[in-house]
Amino acid sequence: MFNEKTSKVAKGSLKYLTGGSGRPLIHLHGAGGVRPNPGLEALGKNVTLYMPVLPGFDGTSTIDGVDSMETLADLVADFIDKEIGEAADIIGLSFGGWLGAWVAVRHPDKVGQLCLENPAGFRPDSVPAPSSDPETRKQEMYAYPDRVPAETKSEEMLAQNRAMLAHYHGDTSFDADLAGQLGKIECLTMIMHGTRDGRVPEEAVQLLKRDIPRSHLIYVYDAAHSLETDQPARFAHLVSDFMERAEAFLVNQGAAGVRPQQVL
Amino acid sequence: MRFSYTHHMPYTGVTDAGQDWPVPNKQFDAEKGVEMFDRYIEDKIYAEQAGFDWIGSNEHHFSPYGMMPNPNLVGAVVANRTRRAGILQSGNIVPISNPIRIAEEYAMLDVMSGGRLIAGFMRGIPHEYVAYNVSPDESYGRMYEAIELIKKAWSSPEPFGWEGEFYQFRAVSIWPRPVQKPYPRILMSASSDASARLAAEVGASAGFLRIADFDSARNQIKVYRDRAKECGWSPTADDVMIGMNCCIAPTYEEAKEILQNGQKYFFGVLGGGIRTAQQLVVQKTRYFKDAGAAEKFAKKTAVQREVSFDERVERGLIVCGTPEMAIDQIRRIHGELGNGRMNLSVKIGNIADHHVTRTLDYLRDVVFPAVRPLGEDNDPAQAAE
Amino acid sequence: MKYSYTHHMPYTGIDRSGQDWPVPNKQFDPQVGVDLFNRYIDDKVYAEQTGFDWIGCNEHHMSPYGLMPNPNLVGAVVANRTKKAGILQSGNIVPIVNPIRVAEEYAMLDVMSGGRLVAGFMRGIPHEYVAYNVSPDESYARMEEAMALIKKAWSEPEPFGWEGEFYQYRAVSIWPKPVQQPFPEMVMSATSERSTRLAAKHRAVAGILALTDMDDGRANIARFKQFSREEGWEPTNDHIMVGLNCCIAPTYEEAKKILEEGQEYFFGVLGGGIRTAQNLVVQKTRFYGTSEEADKLKTKFVNMRSGMKTRSFDERVEMGLMICGTPEMAVEQITRLHKELGNNRLGLSIKIGNISDEHVTRTQDYLRDIVFPATRHLGESDDPAQAAE
Repeated sequence: MFNEKTSKVAKGSLKYLTGGSGRPLIHLHGAGGVRPNPGLEALGKNVTLYMPVLPGFDGTSTIDGVDSMETLADLVADFIDKEIGEAADIIGLSFGGWLGAWVAVRHPDKVGQLCLENPAGFRPDSVPAPSSDPETRKQEMYAYPDRVPAETKSEEMLAQNRAMLAHYHGDTSFDADLAGQLGKIECLTMIMHGTRDGRVPEEAVQLLKRDIPRSHLIYVYDAAHSLETDQPARFAHLVSDFMERAEAFLVNQGAAGVRPQQVL
Repeated sequence: MRFSYTHHMPYTGVTDAGQDWPVPNKQFDAEKGVEMFDRYIEDKIYAEQAGFDWIGSNEHHFSPYGMMPNPNLVGAVVANRTRRAGILQSGNIVPISNPIRIAEEYAMLDVMSGGRLIAGFMRGIPHEYVAYNVSPDESYGRMYEAIELIKKAWSSPEPFGWEGEFYQFRAVSIWPRPVQKPYPRILMSASSDASARLAAEVGASAGFLRIADFDSARNQIKVYRDRAKECGWSPTADDVMIGMNCCIAPTYEEAKEILQNGQKYFFGVLGGGIRTAQQLVVQKTRYFKDAGAAEKFAKKTAVQREVSFDERVERGLIVCGTPEMAIDQIRRIHGELGNGRMNLSVKIGNIADHHVTRTLDYLRDVVFPAVRPLGEDNDPAQAAE
Repeated sequence: MKYSYTHHMPYTGIDRSGQDWPVPNKQFDPQVGVDLFNRYIDDKVYAEQTGFDWIGCNEHHMSPYGLMPNPNLVGAVVANRTKKAGILQSGNIVPIVNPIRVAEEYAMLDVMSGGRLVAGFMRGIPHEYVAYNVSPDESYARMEEAMALIKKAWSEPEPFGWEGEFYQYRAVSIWPKPVQQPFPEMVMSATSERSTRLAAKHRAVAGILALTDMDDGRANIARFKQFSREEGWEPTNDHIMVGLNCCIAPTYEEAKKILEEGQEYFFGVLGGGIRTAQNLVVQKTRFYGTSEEADKLKTKFVNMRSGMKTRSFDERVEMGLMICGTPEMAVEQITRLHKELGNNRLGLSIKIGNISDEHVTRTQDYLRDIVFPATRHLGESDDPAQAAE
């Protein structure tokens, strides 16, 4: 479903994957880089996905001057300008959610609707950090590890991807600056949290719900941090509905709204 | 004339409910909530002593507007602690619940009260559908099917199954059964043409709330009666219940001040989030059956704000003032509409509870004795045609 | 020792109920029903005066077995007419109802009682599923999802949505909220492995009801404690509740006669249709966990009645499976039970079948006057580690 393209923005070039049909939706990836999966493919039936590879991830090079969450957000805004030409909807997973919130704060005119999927960056200091024990970490990441597509990236690439997080946000897990500006987010926002997500605490999404003015918090049952792979149908259904109907996604459509099958 | 006391038990500890849907419940203070709940239940029980014939509880979700997501729990207490008053459940919002459970709970209430239940079947206002994630487009379809199913569950001599569009059961035989035969008295709202016709088709008594003026109320009643005739029965005056806000005080000025403040709180503070949900639903679905109804509904809410309070009293849309004025107002309504019942809403918004009690005492001591005889020699045909 | 009063409000106006499912309700005489209902409610309210700590109501459908298809209506009356007793709703049958409504009604009860709700979450027995046309195969999965959702509805600081397997909501914020924070006290059954795991996960009081065998009871309790430790907490003996039939009279012979007749009515008249539904369900679905568990439980239930025939009444009293006899005997039996199982909670079912309501009251008075005073101290100086491992 997805083709690779290159975008030439003012500061450099950005590789990106794109595909699907419908209104454009920018997907900002997490620590693992761009990862197509059945959830995104199901979503692609209702939207056209644009999945930029953020500089430094997946073997690409970093861009000079783009070395913070803020400057990265500015780069995403440029990408939207270049490739979409008007405000676009954004969905961000984990690190990508953190980034998406920055885009909405700094460039409100570029963002149509925003979706934050298990977003990183809002762990209050009072909440202990997630485990580093590999077994626990796996459970926090995946409710259904067997649903994750086979790994195609090398160990080096994965390590390099992880290192990029520090490049953009340093050591912190609570972005106080951003947290203080959440009130500036004008767009309609949906926050999604997997009930088994052990990487992002509940307190983080509750904070976002509290402080982003026009926001809705939805728990996705039986999904861990890797929400898209754990519950692809639920993910696709919820995001499509939200993007298509805005606030009215609160209202049940009865027979008109058909639920996708659980098994794709 | 018989009187019904409806108290929807609002949480009045909120100063700004905002416009959000749903209203965030972090504003709910448990201690206050416990006190209010207790007081409100006592007020309901007191209504029997104050001379009310029916005592009403209604269902609302996710809002300080009303603290009874299941009014049958409160109805149970009222049933157990009163002896004579009708237990008006006005009522379960049928399309968003399991109809068999409604049938069962209403049967429990009829047994608990020794046969005093008045079973209200409500369609509910839009935000209740958002709350339970039911499609508002299906509201009438569900109402029709559910009411038939409930009546069957109440009265079928044999266990039965049901294969319907919205509901399927293989074997139903509810325990307990209601006391009243063939089934409890039913009450439904008849404030739009479609709902008035439905009430008539079901054989229900009709409630007319928030009437805009006597002419439109008369029209509504006519739609109800005409349809009933087509269905082979004749509602009496006793089947027609007009609902109004009511506040009685030593002077008109005092009653007006109390009620106006209460209404301001009711619309301004309690109503915000509900209106937001309302708009969502009206925009995106076909909740309001007739094309005109959506506009009429919006107009209704608007009209209430544009017309002055004094004028609304003048037009006979509110019972407000001294006890003597209340008597005149009630007589006038009966003269205009021929209704055998009135529902008086006394706790409006955050009106102080002792003012509520005072109004009840005035009703008991002065108003009811004077107006009870109204309509006693009613010829069913006499009521507004 | 803390006592819980269970009264499931049976309709006792029939002398034969047949084997049909559902039990045809043409046998329900409303006048009899009205009288029974009022008497039963008064008995429950009276339980507070006779010293019970909790007063219980449970949910049953389409059968004279119990007249509370929604026990929360009765719980509301009990809450309003009592001052101190815990309002034990044991409870809504979670998989067959709307979980948000359970959350809302339980919150109402907690507010109506000033924070005395004890929230029971039941999986229910097969005939309830037939009644509401819900697949019994889904019972555990529904239960697990619903419990997570209910707890969120009670405690989430912000409005939230839920996209689940069985339940979907876009925006939830219940009014009122419960008084007890973060959650009301909870009770769940702990007789099967999967339900025990759930009880342990939610830090609920474990209910071991209808004890048929002391060894089984001990094993269930040990399993609950082990699972709880795996979930990261240590249950106290206050988390263990055993349920037994109870009848007290001036002599053992009289108590035995009364209770035996009541049990005869309970199984013979009230239970017929239920067993029919049970058999249907066990045959056609996997309601009871694995097929092994299914066979075991099927046999157990089916034999519970005949077990009562193979083991004499006296034997079952000897084995500690009932509280029956003079008040002094009751004290001994309760003391012995506590020694065996370490339960600090005991649920007493006094209205068994059609035992006369006067006898029910008399048992309650004996409990108040003699038995409770003599047994309250049990478990007071508990060292959690001491209880039956």
